[in-house]
Amino acid sequence: MKAVRSLLDKLYDTPALSRFRPVIAAADAIMYGTNETTHAAPHVVDNIDIKRYMSLVILALLPAVAAAFFSFGWRVIAIIMVSYVAGGAVEVIFAIIRRHDIHEGFLITGLIFPLVLPPTTPLWVVAVGVVFGTMFGKEVFGGTGRNIFNPALVGRLFITIAFPAIMTVNWQTPFASGPDAITAATPLTTYKSTAQAAAVNPRVVEAGTEQVLFTSARAARNATLNPQSVFAGVKVYCMGNAAYKTAAYHRRIEEGNAVKMVSYGNLLIGKEPGSMGETCRLVVLAGGLLLIALRVSNWRIPVSYIATVFVFAAVGNYFLPARFAPPLFQVLAGGLLFGAMFMATDPVTSPFTRAGKYVFGIGCGVLTVLIRSFSGYVEGVMFSIVIMNAFTPLIDQIVLMFKYRPVKA
Amino acid sequence: MIAKTRGFRGSYRFRNFESPPQERLTQAAIPSTVTIILIQGFSDEVSCLVQPGDAVKAGQIIGRDDDSISSPVHASVNGKVVNVGKLAYLGNEVAAVTIESDGTDGWQALEGHTAQWESLSAEQIEKLVYLSGAAGAGRSGIPTRFKSSIISCGDVEYVIIHGVESEMYGPLAAALLAGERLGQFAEGVRILKKMLPSAGFHVALNAERQDLISRVSGTLASYGVEVRCLEPRYPADYDEVLVSTVLGRTVPPGHLAANIGVIVLDIQDVLHVYDAVTKGKPVIERTVALCGPGFSENPHVQVRIGAPLEHLAAGKLRQDRAYRLLRNSALTGERLEMKQPVDRNCDAVIAVHENDSREMFAFVRPGPRKDSYTPTFLSAILGKKLTKRAETNLHGEERPCINCGFCEEVCPAGLIPHHLFHYVERNIIDETLLRFKIYDCIDCNLCAYVCPSKIALGRHIREGKDKLINEGLTCPRPDSLKGLLTDSK
Repeated sequence: MKAVRSLLDKLYDTPALSRFRPVIAAADAIMYGTNETTHAAPHVVDNIDIKRYMSLVILALLPAVAAAFFSFGWRVIAIIMVSYVAGGAVEVIFAIIRRHDIHEGFLITGLIFPLVLPPTTPLWVVAVGVVFGTMFGKEVFGGTGRNIFNPALVGRLFITIAFPAIMTVNWQTPFASGPDAITAATPLTTYKSTAQAAAVNPRVVEAGTEQVLFTSARAARNATLNPQSVFAGVKVYCMGNAAYKTAAYHRRIEEGNAVKMVSYGNLLIGKEPGSMGETCRLVVLAGGLLLIALRVSNWRIPVSYIATVFVFAAVGNYFLPARFAPPLFQVLAGGLLFGAMFMATDPVTSPFTRAGKYVFGIGCGVLTVLIRSFSGYVEGVMFSIVIMNAFTPLIDQIVLMFKYRPVKA
Repeated sequence: MIAKTRGFRGSYRFRNFESPPQERLTQAAIPSTVTIILIQGFSDEVSCLVQPGDAVKAGQIIGRDDDSISSPVHASVNGKVVNVGKLAYLGNEVAAVTIESDGTDGWQALEGHTAQWESLSAEQIEKLVYLSGAAGAGRSGIPTRFKSSIISCGDVEYVIIHGVESEMYGPLAAALLAGERLGQFAEGVRILKKMLPSAGFHVALNAERQDLISRVSGTLASYGVEVRCLEPRYPADYDEVLVSTVLGRTVPPGHLAANIGVIVLDIQDVLHVYDAVTKGKPVIERTVALCGPGFSENPHVQVRIGAPLEHLAAGKLRQDRAYRLLRNSALTGERLEMKQPVDRNCDAVIAVHENDSREMFAFVRPGPRKDSYTPTFLSAILGKKLTKRAETNLHGEERPCINCGFCEEVCPAGLIPHHLFHYVERNIIDETLLRFKIYDCIDCNLCAYVCPSKIALGRHIREGKDKLINEGLTCPRPDSLKGLLTDSK
């Protein structure tokens, strides 16, 4: 290792490389740690630094990366590598131009960005997205710590709008390959199209109905117990196992006409199609909880975000089942858990006040459910986090206004 | 009476750092020369009464100023004054007297002292306490009728005596109260009660030292003193925090506890009072805890004031690597050098490893001996068994603030340090800082300790306060404050 050390020292001293000092310093800092000491009080300081802080986020993401690898194969690794190389290049170029150190934040952006992409995303689109995200999501604002929006989401948003065909219709089924593996539907899409075509949670299944969707076992039971319901030739879609069992074993529903549309178990273990990192909800949850336990991310945002989605979806589903998907499905489907655990919690782009964190989480939750229910998009996590990012400074200002009364000069 | 005391916001428990002070108390030899500075914590310099060549006795007053708020300063050894001049001390130029000792260890007692102190009048006691220099204790002094404190005797409503041991390194109450000292401490408290009859007395101790608490409360039981058990979370020993946890009151920002009638003393201050009144012994000695890995042993050493550190450490400082010497606190203390003297307010000298070596892949190491506010090192699990390292490495490069919020979580004053930092960094010095309560900061430096971006938050906040004062934006002054002689800290 002494050779590496002396090589680094030589590189520092080479005048031709003076512009590349940030790159050398980054390599140095990662390998050797710092020789700087405290200048004045406090003379002894905490051992944690930003490198460790960021590494722990990456550690918490690794299970999701592994799950993505097992679900979708080597392509995942290729996408991640393209993301790191292309995004890293932007970061390095800006560090060289600005003559400041390379900041560690990119290590997270470069990993989170590919994890929110569909596994079929072409590599060049990955590169375009990460370059756009790093440049316009972060560097133009002045780099780490000054950005308003989550850079990974800015990149994702850009390619979603720029390449809608690629980003919204090609989904790969986990653990499958070949042409059959490509599907146009994630669970959220399936729900939306079925809910539009079918009668959702009717009290009475009237004659002439072709499709019925039951979002809960209770709804299925209510309809089947109603003597006026007519089930002959009616296709019955059921959300989750409980509703399916209620319908499938009911003698009035013809055999084969009861269809289980969504399995919550499959959502949890990652058998439903979706973006690479979000499909296996169990490991996403585990990673998020690890970060909360290590105090790297704050629990307030994910808890308020997920709770809001659950409550809002429950209320909406009760009154307007044709629009609002049932609560548990909304929490497990799509990118909600991944977004709430890893992206809404980004400390730079979320409020720093405690009350503000709750407001942010609640805002994200309401927007997510609204976008999922009423917009042309099936998924609303990305949009809602980006929108709330924009409100972050305002939220903090308002909270501080209540917390600290203005003083008379 | 033992009372549980409510906790306070934020704060941090420094647990199990290497080489903590031992309960052992040793006596240092008489130093060959002493340098005595003519200034105390809170008052101005006192005028010097001796000239080079004068013979002095230990306990003889060599500096005194009866017109300003101060207490006399004494020679701490028998011998001859060799120099009166200026000394660079903790960033200031201060007047100092250098005395060459003749090696004898006697001292000159104050007139009028008696072991039967109960027979003395209040005025006689106050005079002894004043003349001994014991009245110059704490951040505002002990009030007597001789202008020894910023407030008068009648203003004192409460006295808090603390030994909570919340610092990373600091003296142990058990060492200071070992053996007969406990009884003397109790007598000292009684003397103070006679001086300040209208004040309520509280003794705040480390809740984890149950045997000491039962000894102290047993001894003080009949004297109407309330013993409080405080969790040793830093900065529980700070005046502002003690006033709020023990009394449930708030020290107005930018002011002293004395301004609302509370005197905060430490255990040694009370022992000085006892020594002054019953033995006539002025403040010529101080017990200093030798803490940290830099010392080969970590006793408490009783040493004459003005003795240079090299005399105090006397061969106990390890030579195996570089150590940084700190006065009183690893978080807020100043650096010391071996030639510098022990002053009246010194109660701990801390030697931490000056670690400028690079640790390979430091940021991914498990860190069983690395202290951190976050539970991201193995020390979070093993911290009770393995001691943690005390060294000066920054452990990372300075980075932009990422709003992680650690500083806000630990702040005992309920501030948002990183928010204040953003204003000071951009040189926005105006009412906004007042609005975000910059003067509530008690300078404990905990925010800078926990910052993962290695930002010197405490220093920036102090800078902000200084700039505000320069702009004439001092902190708002509540009505009915006592002894308003200090405008701000």
